[in-house]
Amino acid sequence: MFTWQKEGRIFNPAEIKDRPWLKEFAQAPSSLIFDDFVRVYFSCRPPADENGKYISYSAYVDLNKKNLFEILRVSNTPILELGDLGTFDEFGTYPVSVIKYENEILAYYGGWTRCESVPFNVAIGYGISLDGGETFEKVGDGPILSYSIDEPFIISGPKIRRFNNQWYLFYIAGKKWILDEGNPEPVYRIRMAISEDRINWRKTNKDLIETKVDINEAQASPDVFFYKGKYHMFFCYRHGTNYRSSKNGYRIGYAYSDDLLNWVRDDSKAGIDISDKGWDSEMISYPHVFEIDDSIYMLYLGNKVGKNGFGLAKLLSYQP
Amino acid sequence: MKWIKRGLLFDPTKYTLANYCHEFAQAPYALVFDDFIRIYFSTRQKDTNIGKFKSYISFVDFDKNFSEVLNISSKTVIELGELGSFDEHGIFPINMLRHNNKIYAYTCGWSRRISVSVETSTGLAISEDNGVSFTKIGSGPILTSSLNEPVLVGDSFVKYYDSVFHMWYIFGKKWFKAQQDESPARVYKIAHAISYDGLNWKKDEGKQIIEDKLNRDECQALPTVIKINNRYHMYFCFREATDFRKNKERGYRLGYAWSDDLIRWNRDDANAGIEFSELGWDSQMMCYPNLFECNGKIYLLYNGNEFGRFGFGLAELSEV
Repeated sequence: MFTWQKEGRIFNPAEIKDRPWLKEFAQAPSSLIFDDFVRVYFSCRPPADENGKYISYSAYVDLNKKNLFEILRVSNTPILELGDLGTFDEFGTYPVSVIKYENEILAYYGGWTRCESVPFNVAIGYGISLDGGETFEKVGDGPILSYSIDEPFIISGPKIRRFNNQWYLFYIAGKKWILDEGNPEPVYRIRMAISEDRINWRKTNKDLIETKVDINEAQASPDVFFYKGKYHMFFCYRHGTNYRSSKNGYRIGYAYSDDLLNWVRDDSKAGIDISDKGWDSEMISYPHVFEIDDSIYMLYLGNKVGKNGFGLAKLLSYQP
Repeated sequence: MKWIKRGLLFDPTKYTLANYCHEFAQAPYALVFDDFIRIYFSTRQKDTNIGKFKSYISFVDFDKNFSEVLNISSKTVIELGELGSFDEHGIFPINMLRHNNKIYAYTCGWSRRISVSVETSTGLAISEDNGVSFTKIGSGPILTSSLNEPVLVGDSFVKYYDSVFHMWYIFGKKWFKAQQDESPARVYKIAHAISYDGLNWKKDEGKQIIEDKLNRDECQALPTVIKINNRYHMYFCFREATDFRKNKERGYRLGYAWSDDLIRWNRDDANAGIEFSELGWDSQMMCYPNLFECNGKIYLLYNGNEFGRFGFGLAELSEV
């Protein structure tokens, strides 16, 4: 059982005034720990266009390592450019996961395109930073992880990890599109791929996390870390339909594993739920866990999947 | 190479086709049986709501002298994909391969996009009823875009030589707008992949194997390969990237290349041995070739004017 103490909202995009591309949303936080600060990457949006359609960018905010509520900097530009006409990431780079490896900083991100019969499709892109993680250059115009026989669409939500000298990419893959009052809504599940070289990935072709609330349950943000002899995964899940409501909307789930491939889901141990009132009273989602000086923290999104930013919780105790 | 044209072989407007299809018999592909030759092709159903088309696979059976139509498919040969799938809006072209007493169909699936018209990927379906119907091995593709092949993977043509599956296919290099108010144009090239099981493919990532003849934006499509004595011969079609639909000078015509090692290809259009007719069904355009052998003779199927709206024709090889 994890016991978390909520510390409150840490970043609200509405407070950033001078960046037109960072107007709404701060989604899917992902940390990179520096000596003096914690850089939190997240995804954001300019206002919707005349048809109500958004594009999404990714950005970062630097937090004082000694006081995570003190914002030191916000990126001046998006960290990744959108793709060229017709390419997989023409309309968005969301979410992003960043890791330091030797002298490089690597980013895996969801690239968004727009479709006719369904609103969008996503595949995973790859970039490398040459300026200490401020911006990332794409390694190619196409995706690094895309659709396959059993993963027909929506390859998204990457989380890059390195365990035991191997690369792991946790991500989500679409199962099907279902109609909710005539509108197509995607069902997706948590998956994993393994690589020796960060470029060529071998999919394990397995749903890692069983469903709980609904046969059309959608799962996202598979955030894996090693702690006290076990692998732990916090993730989020929602119902298949009417999930913009609080009742069917995102909650945070939990699973553990000894080998990264076989996971036991036990949401009762997650130790975090919606608040009675306030910014995270309707839904909580997109957990990300990191460690600073032996303290464990979780960043997560509140109502409307991060429209009003993300918050912080601190681990008080853990009992296996 | 020298060819004797046998003329228009099949005009789809003279027959009743399944799936409410009418006009177009594109990208013919011949599969030789003991007593007949089955020619698969892509035909079109009008999507009445929006005035666009969906491509469906059909077939027509001929006797081995091509003197008579014996049969036409009366049912759906391969279902199109479900909502949001790569082959939701059409399959065109298709390629058959006999292997282990089954027939493998490599499909080029189409799905519509918003900023550009379409995206494609290659799928695989298998027939266990002698090619009357095919079942997909999964709802996703076996080959799709990747780092250096950012868009439009398709037109797969597969042959099994010396225990290795060889695939020639096309990948898109880019979409572009020549004029701001024009719909986007695409550029695609022929590439090569190999496999040991017909399912898992290794691409020669982003490598164009047939040199351009027109210019850098030349579009190359639908490679077909045949081995004669010890030399491999490839036909394909090529065109300018823009103004190619009605302008004979810029539209599809047939190109030719040969190879002795399946690695280096020598483009030699001057020796293709087949050109536009002065008048008639193939006087304005030639495209979507298919080479095959039957009773010791080598044949070429191809489409003529208007991308095969009024069917396909046949030529017979008279000299190598």
